[in-house]
Amino acid sequence: MHSLLQTFKVGMWLDYEIEANWTTPLIFFVYNIAKPVGASLLLLAMYYVVTGSIMGTDALAFLYVGNAFYMVLSGVMMELGWVVQEDREHYQTLKYIYISPSSYYSYLIGRAAMRFFLQIFPLIFLLLIGIIIPVPYRINAILLIFTLLIGWLFMISAGMVLNSVTLLTARYGGAIGESFAGLFYLLSGVVFPMSILPWYLRNFALFLPSTYWFSLVRRSVLGKEVDPLLSQIPLQTCIILILITTVMFFTISLALYFLMNHLARKRGTLEMITTY
Amino acid sequence: MRNFLRAVKGRAYPRVVGALREPSWMFWDTFLPLLSISAYVFVYRALHAPKEFEGFVIIGGIMTAYWLSVLWGMASQFYWEKETGNLQQYLIAPASLESILAGMALGGMFATTVRVIAILILGTLIFQVEMAVSNPLLLLLIFLITLFALYSLGMMFASLFLLWGREAWVMNNLFQEPIYFLSGQNFPVKALGPIVAAIASIIPLTLGLDAMRQLIFPQSLPWALMSPWLELIFLSLLSVVFLILAMIFLKKMEWVGKTKGTILTRWL
Repeated sequence: MHSLLQTFKVGMWLDYEIEANWTTPLIFFVYNIAKPVGASLLLLAMYYVVTGSIMGTDALAFLYVGNAFYMVLSGVMMELGWVVQEDREHYQTLKYIYISPSSYYSYLIGRAAMRFFLQIFPLIFLLLIGIIIPVPYRINAILLIFTLLIGWLFMISAGMVLNSVTLLTARYGGAIGESFAGLFYLLSGVVFPMSILPWYLRNFALFLPSTYWFSLVRRSVLGKEVDPLLSQIPLQTCIILILITTVMFFTISLALYFLMNHLARKRGTLEMITTY
Repeated sequence: MRNFLRAVKGRAYPRVVGALREPSWMFWDTFLPLLSISAYVFVYRALHAPKEFEGFVIIGGIMTAYWLSVLWGMASQFYWEKETGNLQQYLIAPASLESILAGMALGGMFATTVRVIAILILGTLIFQVEMAVSNPLLLLLIFLITLFALYSLGMMFASLFLLWGREAWVMNNLFQEPIYFLSGQNFPVKALGPIVAAIASIIPLTLGLDAMRQLIFPQSLPWALMSPWLELIFLSLLSVVFLILAMIFLKKMEWVGKTKGTILTRWL
C-alpha cells in the first residue's frame, strides 16, 4: 500500500513538472486559465448576440456553470489521451517506468490526479468571474465537495480507459481524448438542456456518469437543476445514479487496463516508436 | 526556381498522400469537429437563435479546421521536425527553407480541405442549414486569400516556435480557445465592440470569417464589421506582411542556429 501511494505521489509530481516546469508558477497559472476563460467568453459572446445582454438568467447560469466545470473534465481527458504515447514515444521512458518496482497503474492514476488538480484553479477563477455576470450562486458546500470527489473518480476512470487504449495504439492519443471530452460536452447537458437533443442521443446520455455529474454540479452551485429533463430526478436518485454509473465506469476501466496491459506485453508495443 | 518547385512538391507530397491513405484519420478529423459544431448549434437552438446562427457555427467550424492545421501542421512543424531528426536534413538539403514551408502549407491546405468538405456536407445535412451565396467569386477569392494569410502566419510562427523551443506546445494551446473567441468563431465579431474587433482583425481568421458570413448569410449584414471588399484588401495586406515577416524570421532562425548552435538540440 505504501508503495502504491509513493508511486501515486511521484506520478503527480512528475505530471506537474512536465506541465509546468517550462516557466514560473505565475505564468503557468495565467496559461492554465487562458483556455477556460477563452472558451467561456466564446459562449458568453454567443449568448450576447442572441439575447442582447449578458446579465444573469437561468439559461446563462446553466451555460456558464456547466462550461466552467466542463473545463475540468476536458482538461483531464484531452491531456490523458497523450500520457502513454508521450512516455513511450516522446520521452521514451515508458519501458523504464514499467520495469521499475512500482505499479504502473498507480503511476497513471497519479498523473490523472494531478491533471484534475491543476484544472481546479481555472475552475475557481471562472466561478469568481461568474460573480460579475452575475451568476446566482447558491452553493451547497457538502454536495459540491461530494460532486468533485465523485467527479474525480469518474474522470480518472475515463482517463484510464484512454490510457489503456493507447497502450496498444500508435496514434490517436489526442483524438481519443478529444472524442471522449467532446461526447461528454455534447451529450451530458453541459451548455444546453438535454431536451434539445434528439431522443436517441438523450436516451444514450442517461447511461453516462457525466450527465448526472453536471446535474449535481448545478444543484450544488446554483441550488437547483435548471434542465427540465434532469430536474425531474430527485437529488437522492441523482446521487445513486452517479454512484452506479461511476462504479460501472471504474470497473470497465480497470478490466480494460488489465486486458490492454496483457495484450501490450504480448505484442511488444510498450517499446513501440513510430516517430509520431 | 526549378529546385524551389521540386522542394515544394516534395514536401507537399507526404501530406497529400497522407490525407487520403489512412481512412481512420479522416474519420477522426471529421468526427471531432462535428462534435463541437453540434454542441454549439444546440446552444443556439436552446437560446432560440435565428437559423443563420447555426450556419455561423458550421462556417466557424470549417475555418477552425484550417486554423488548427496552421498551428499544428505549420507553426509547430519545425519544432517536431527537430524532435524527429528531420530538420537537419532540411537544413543540409539543396533546397530553401521557404520552399519546405511552402510545401507544408500546400500539403496542409489540401489535407484540411478534404476534411473540411466532409464537415461542410455533413454539418449542412444534419442541421439543415440554408446558405444563399450572393457573390460566389468574391467568396472564393476571400476564402483563398484568408487561407494564404493564415498559412503565411503559420510560416512566420514556424521559425518563432522553433526559437522558443519547448514552449511551442504551450503556444499552440494558448492560440486555440482565446483565438476562437477573438476571431468570432461562432458569432459576429462586431459583438465584441469596434476596438476589440479591430485588434482581433490582425488574425486573418477574423476578417475572413466576417466576410464569408456576409456573403453566405445575407441576413447577417447588420452584424458586419466592414464591407467584404475592404476585408479582402486588409487580408491581402496581412498576407504580404506575414510572408515578409516569415522570411525575416527564417533568416533570424538560421543566424541563431549558426551562432548559438542550439537550434537542432532536442528537448530544448
